[in-house]
Amino acid sequence: MGVTEVFTTFGDVYLRSVLSTWLMTAVCFAGGLALGILVTVLRVSPVKPLRVAGDVYVQLFRNIPTVSLLVIFVYALPYLGATLSYRTCLLACVILVVSSFASENFMSGINAIGVGQIEAARSIGLTFVQIVRLIVIPQSLRTTVLPMTNLLIATLLTTAMGSQVPLTPPELTGMVNYVNSRSVAGISAFIVSAICYAGTSVVLGWLGNKLDEKVRIVR
Amino acid sequence: MAIETATPVIELRHVDKHYGPLHVLRDINLSVAKGEVLVVIGPSGSGKSTMCRTINRLETIDSGEILIEGTPLPQEGKELAALRAKVGMVFQSFNLFAHKTILQNVTMGPIEVLHTPREQAEAEAMELLRRVGVDSQAAKVPAQLSGGQQQRVAIARSLAMHPTAMLFDEPTSALDPEMINEVLAVMVELAQEGMTMVVVTHEMNFARRVANRVVFMADGQIVEQNSPDEFFDHPQSQRAKDFLESIKGH
Amino acid sequence: MSANVSMRDALYEAPGPKTRRRVAIGTGISVVLLLGLIAFVIRQFYVNDQLNPRYWSFFARWTTWRFLLRGLAGTIRVAFTAGIIAMILGLLLMLGRISHNRPLSVACHVITDLFRSLPSLLLIYFFFLVIPKYGLRMPSFWMITVPVALAASGVLAEVFRAGVNAVPKGQSEAAMALGMTHGKITRKIVLPQALRIVVPSLVSQLVVVVKDTTVAYVVSYPDLMQNARVLISNYDALVSMYFVVALIYIAINYATNQFSIYLAHREGTSIMSRTTENPV
Repeated sequence: MGVTEVFTTFGDVYLRSVLSTWLMTAVCFAGGLALGILVTVLRVSPVKPLRVAGDVYVQLFRNIPTVSLLVIFVYALPYLGATLSYRTCLLACVILVVSSFASENFMSGINAIGVGQIEAARSIGLTFVQIVRLIVIPQSLRTTVLPMTNLLIATLLTTAMGSQVPLTPPELTGMVNYVNSRSVAGISAFIVSAICYAGTSVVLGWLGNKLDEKVRIVR
Repeated sequence: MAIETATPVIELRHVDKHYGPLHVLRDINLSVAKGEVLVVIGPSGSGKSTMCRTINRLETIDSGEILIEGTPLPQEGKELAALRAKVGMVFQSFNLFAHKTILQNVTMGPIEVLHTPREQAEAEAMELLRRVGVDSQAAKVPAQLSGGQQQRVAIARSLAMHPTAMLFDEPTSALDPEMINEVLAVMVELAQEGMTMVVVTHEMNFARRVANRVVFMADGQIVEQNSPDEFFDHPQSQRAKDFLESIKGH
Repeated sequence: MSANVSMRDALYEAPGPKTRRRVAIGTGISVVLLLGLIAFVIRQFYVNDQLNPRYWSFFARWTTWRFLLRGLAGTIRVAFTAGIIAMILGLLLMLGRISHNRPLSVACHVITDLFRSLPSLLLIYFFFLVIPKYGLRMPSFWMITVPVALAASGVLAEVFRAGVNAVPKGQSEAAMALGMTHGKITRKIVLPQALRIVVPSLVSQLVVVVKDTTVAYVVSYPDLMQNARVLISNYDALVSMYFVVALIYIAINYATNQFSIYLAHREGTSIMSRTTENPV
């Protein structure tokens, strides 16, 4: 079966699969960023236990393989009194992993600011809250555009873990399995999924580069 | 220039500071009157920069007292921020806000701290930029300017807050030789207008020409202070003589 | 002085009395909250009978650990083989990309970006589901190792390229002044220096490779995760086993990361990874 036949037979499922992959990527990335910001706030807070908790959190979730986390969510949590749907498990796992990397990006964005900027802000009379709002957040956001673009692409690739649990519709990697178990499409299914991943990555990467050019801070 | 003997603008009383085992400020007593230009010189590691930075609490002190216009320096919060707004600071490394244009660098303080309306803040900022000679660069970002231009913008940024005194922490040390004079020229003008200034510097000509008083520091102590002519022509202490001898070659 | 203070601390003033009191109160509250969180997790284990010794006692047996270690050896075998293949392939892709042969350069660029933009799982399915349909049977070891290596090679090609770019321009200019050819300059001057620069990054990339190997159960290769699954069905102890395995992976990856940070620190270089290079 060639690529065209795969489309005529499975086009409908493929369309829903692509959309679902994109949606999951968007949800996981947004959730990961939000959680990453929260964790970063803990990590830069002046309260020692919160800093330690934030650091431990990041080390746990940046070092755990996503599958290892996924099996805990899917198979172990029900024994501990929490049964979640497959999709919830997947989204939660990817968000946790993404948030730890997002926090690492934010931290290096903050580290790039330089003590002099903060001291200058202090000496014109800005309060702590103003310094965070006017200097720390804008500067760290603008320096993290490229790393965050890469993280977005990595998020897209991580949603492939969805192939390890039953999802309807299956996401792009699961589609290879789905098509293979229903026909002899073989390589065609792989090619279609590969093109979808590569195409999405290229577009996201291009957008990220454009945005970075616009907001990059020359130091 | 008449120096008032009323409440000093800046006063340090018995200030001490340690960095771990290092005793960086030893019993510093100093007062700066309104309109006075005080130049602090001394070998590197003498504590002169640290002293300058304690005046708006960029460095904390272990003991002693710092008074600004007679009131003790607040330790934190809005009170400290409000006080800093009144004391300008110019750094060795300029420290212009890297993500803001030149104009925005100058207007940020007035808009955010003094709540000046934007149009008024911008008009004032442009006027200040014209005074320091970089108004044509207003729309650029700091990295596009030369060091000398950046430092002049930094001075304008401080002036925009209408400070009662200004601190200069080695303002020309990071500059290429040909840019030093353009920054010093702005500082000379400020001094002539009656700005109260504390200047930590290695520029001896500037000190001789502009200072009302020269303070010589070594090993965290004020070793001697005098009028510039007296100090440079008849240094009292051996440390000061050695120091002046060592920089003659330059 | 202020120059070597980390930004994390530089954000805050030296605290005054009010701030100190607030931080103390915050510390107290946060300790209580964190202990509460830990207590809640332990409680969930307890009320669901997951602290029952029958789920944990077999970890005291050597046979359990021998089997897990055998799995871990499988993981390490796959990770190192894949790592070495990825290094060689990544280096070749990079050399092709920076070569003056235009078609070769474009081809290597496309291949690099392609491998970087595909999930390793998709590549695994390609070798597990697609290739066998064309009559090519591979041993399970290679069905997991090759796709993991391919996925890593794209990233490594970019890491190598960043390493080459990090070699000061003056080096190759000096060599050019001596009349060396492009190929010779690359081989003798640029590459040796670039390789030294990327060593910490190569080590940190091993973490990604180890993570990618954890789906080896898809092709039934006996790695750590797969052996853990076998033990789970033997002992009927799912929760404890999955948590222990997760901790083992975290420990390995954490140690690898710390080692690469140590290397980068010693060599005075930075770690280049997927997140620090240009997006596709």
